[in-house]
Amino acid sequence: MSVKPTPDPGGRGPGTALRGGAPGHQGPGDLTLTSIVLFTLGAYGVAAGAATGQEAVVAVGVFAFTLFGLGIVWPVWSLARLDVTAVAPTDATVGDSIELRIKVTGRAARVDIRALDPAGTWWSTAAPSEGRLPHTATRRGVFRSVRIQLRSSAPLGVFVRTRTIRVALPAPIVVAPRPSVAPAVLQPIPDERVSSGSPLLVRGGGDTVRAVRPYSPGDPARLVHWPSSARRGEIVVREHEPPPALGIALVVDLRGTIPEVAASLAAGIGTATLAAGGVVWCGTCENGEPVGELVVDARDLGRRLARATPGAPAEAPHQWPAEVVHG
Amino acid sequence: MSGPAPPSTRPKRQVAPAYRIVAIPAAFALGSVGAIAAEHAGLPWVVGAIAGAVAAVLGVLALPSIPTRRATVVILGLGGLAALRHSSFAGADRSWLLLLWAVATMLTLVLVDRADAETVPALAGGTPLRNRLPETARVGAVIAVVVAVAAVALVPTVTERLGRHVWPGQQPGESDQLNAPSSLQSTTELSLTSRPRLSNAVVFTVDAAHADFWRGETFDKYYGSSWSNSDAENPRLLLHGDGTDVQVPPAPYDIGAQTGVEFRQTFHLEAGFSDVLFAAPSPRVVETDKLLNERSDGTLRVAPQSGSDFGKGAVYTVTSRSNPVTEDTLRAADRAAVPAAIADFYARRPGTTDRVIALGRSITARSPTTFDKVQAIEAWLGANTQYSLNAPLSPPGVDVVDDFLFNSHLGWCEQIASSLVVLARSSGIPARLVTGFAPGARDALTGRFVVRERDAHAWAEVYFPGIGWQGFDPTASVPLAGDAKPGGSWLTDARRNAVPLAIAGALGMLIVVAGPQVLAALRRRRARRASWSASALHRLERAGRKAGRVRVPAETPREYAVALAQRIGDDRLVGVGDTLDAALYSANGVSETDRTNADAVLTSL
Repeated sequence: MSVKPTPDPGGRGPGTALRGGAPGHQGPGDLTLTSIVLFTLGAYGVAAGAATGQEAVVAVGVFAFTLFGLGIVWPVWSLARLDVTAVAPTDATVGDSIELRIKVTGRAARVDIRALDPAGTWWSTAAPSEGRLPHTATRRGVFRSVRIQLRSSAPLGVFVRTRTIRVALPAPIVVAPRPSVAPAVLQPIPDERVSSGSPLLVRGGGDTVRAVRPYSPGDPARLVHWPSSARRGEIVVREHEPPPALGIALVVDLRGTIPEVAASLAAGIGTATLAAGGVVWCGTCENGEPVGELVVDARDLGRRLARATPGAPAEAPHQWPAEVVHG
Repeated sequence: MSGPAPPSTRPKRQVAPAYRIVAIPAAFALGSVGAIAAEHAGLPWVVGAIAGAVAAVLGVLALPSIPTRRATVVILGLGGLAALRHSSFAGADRSWLLLLWAVATMLTLVLVDRADAETVPALAGGTPLRNRLPETARVGAVIAVVVAVAAVALVPTVTERLGRHVWPGQQPGESDQLNAPSSLQSTTELSLTSRPRLSNAVVFTVDAAHADFWRGETFDKYYGSSWSNSDAENPRLLLHGDGTDVQVPPAPYDIGAQTGVEFRQTFHLEAGFSDVLFAAPSPRVVETDKLLNERSDGTLRVAPQSGSDFGKGAVYTVTSRSNPVTEDTLRAADRAAVPAAIADFYARRPGTTDRVIALGRSITARSPTTFDKVQAIEAWLGANTQYSLNAPLSPPGVDVVDDFLFNSHLGWCEQIASSLVVLARSSGIPARLVTGFAPGARDALTGRFVVRERDAHAWAEVYFPGIGWQGFDPTASVPLAGDAKPGGSWLTDARRNAVPLAIAGALGMLIVVAGPQVLAALRRRRARRASWSASALHRLERAGRKAGRVRVPAETPREYAVALAQRIGDDRLVGVGDTLDAALYSANGVSETDRTNADAVLTSL
């Protein structure tokens, strides 16, 4: 069985498919209206003062030029002295809002800070500082660093200096795809490895009676097999064969043009199947190597899909019903 | 169907509270340049100050449709343009207004940027921004020092190296010439029977290292009620030599003009017209775009061949030469003889009354040297005459000097200086009358001498053999050539005293920047000394910091001590925590023994 997901109209290729928010400023900074005014006053003052030899006019020009220069140097110097460390939660799902625990070291009277990818909201603080920076996980994957942007125009507002720092995380954050809405797939799995190893004693498990055995204290009375007990003169109870496992082998192939949509669909099918009590085996490709394993729970499935990369996935186990999700 | 208009759902835009304080320094910034502009326009400075301040407040607070930051910056830009326009105004010394503008502008920029920062939401759990005013004061102090250093270092250099020393100025019109004061118009005859126009109008400003008389014309013939120049009709045309330089040959027997010390002055004409070239004695090189005429006495004026005279805004630079003199050198000058050409022309008996001649001889009879004789005449004039601009004019046909010395005893500079020249000549001393301008008041910021109509002056020059012509001012004690102390602007003075100013500035910075922290530390120390518990807690925290475990604000002393005991592995700290808790919160306090034990534990850490 093969599933071809519907392309996401907002998809823009691997790594950017679900990115949102305003684009982040990447340059070293911006000159402001104040800088234009001060530079104009400075240039005019020095030129006019020098032309006429009027020291007072030159003084006004030098004053404006000094503020202009100071307004550029100060924020550059101020931000150069700051450093940032960050700690992120280990698991997230695309679209979740997470909190980065930020620590800004160095000294600055005021600095604005935000996370990039996507560019978030600016938050103001003084340095040194520790705080919680909201961030939205917009991309599936395993991230070992985050980009933090600092901004300052203090004290004169002449130049808005921005500095982007890539901060290594002490523990990577694993961002799982957001599961899309999909039905559970529960098909019998002819694989004893995924069946229960012990005989089920409850009715409603398997229908086949494996054997009878003498009653032990604690056995439910409904399992007493009265005909055999009458024949043998002692109370015996039934033992049933365990029911066959239901579930699906998910083969996630992300070599297509819409891998993120495929990952979301796989997450949706897997999560629904697990929620229905089914067993899920997931075959993906991680860093060029096919990887296939039983999934423990929904978080494990998310992590597996987060690590998945385009490439040939592992093949489904023999006789397992497979659901191949193409990206 | 029509009904009542639905209430507007659009919220009324208001200036954010953080921006409101910006209006205060902005008002000062615009108010200060408004004051200068008003004075420039002939209005009371208060009117301009109020108008500027109101405009700034309205601009910042009453224009909600424009972002406050943008409105503020535009207002500051306009203020800056006004400052540039009016900083060159050679009016009353309003340097403090320019300084006020600069400080207010800087503070406005700091506050508006701070207000911007306050509109950004605070980082959850982060360190809040510091208090607005202390931060602004601290930052403002740092910026002020940087600006002051830059101004001292750069302004004189830029002005000196880039400044133009020659500028044609405006073309003077006929009305400019008619309205110009007589002291700016060259003449062959100086009447002593008319009252001069002495207004506050600025005629020119002078960039010069020190004060001096700005000499215009000289007069050698006295006719009883007027003076004339005998060489006025035969001036020599001086042409440009190298570029704009006009070399001025020294007058005969003017020794100082040949070998004296150079003195450079740049004149900026503010009046609408002048055809006289003013200079400290004795001009040798003139940088100007005009051709010049030179009389034999050294007087310079614009040559008719130039096409036009000096108009408003004209700039010319003169390099003069003169010998610095002392009383001793002037007294010693009598050892040499006065050249016959000088004596015949300037020392002959003046055309005045006999009693004036007799008075002059009697005043100088007991003086051994020429210098002493001139001093004696000055002393006599000081003792027997009075300066008054309201002195009665001498009647027609009457010798003005005679009338002044024997009848009215009241006169202004022309009568007083004429009397000195006439009395000196009566004793055979070569002397002449000079007209021009007194040095004027030095503008504190620009360092320029601001010369007004009322500074028009007349004084005497006396010839000393081997030295040349020396000025004597019997009217007022203005400094003579070589006697003045070096001058300059605030900035030049500041550069001259850079080291002590830098030390003072550094100390000031230290006080402003570190002062609050030092005061806070002293307060904490005082509190620790006042209570054992505060001191012990401080020591515990210090030990914790060394161990890498800082106390969090919500932690009680006991909780902190327990945590520290686990980290360090010293259970005694738990007891210290108990003692601290008891000292802080127990009604019974702690025993001296517990305190001693806790102190011992803390000391051992």
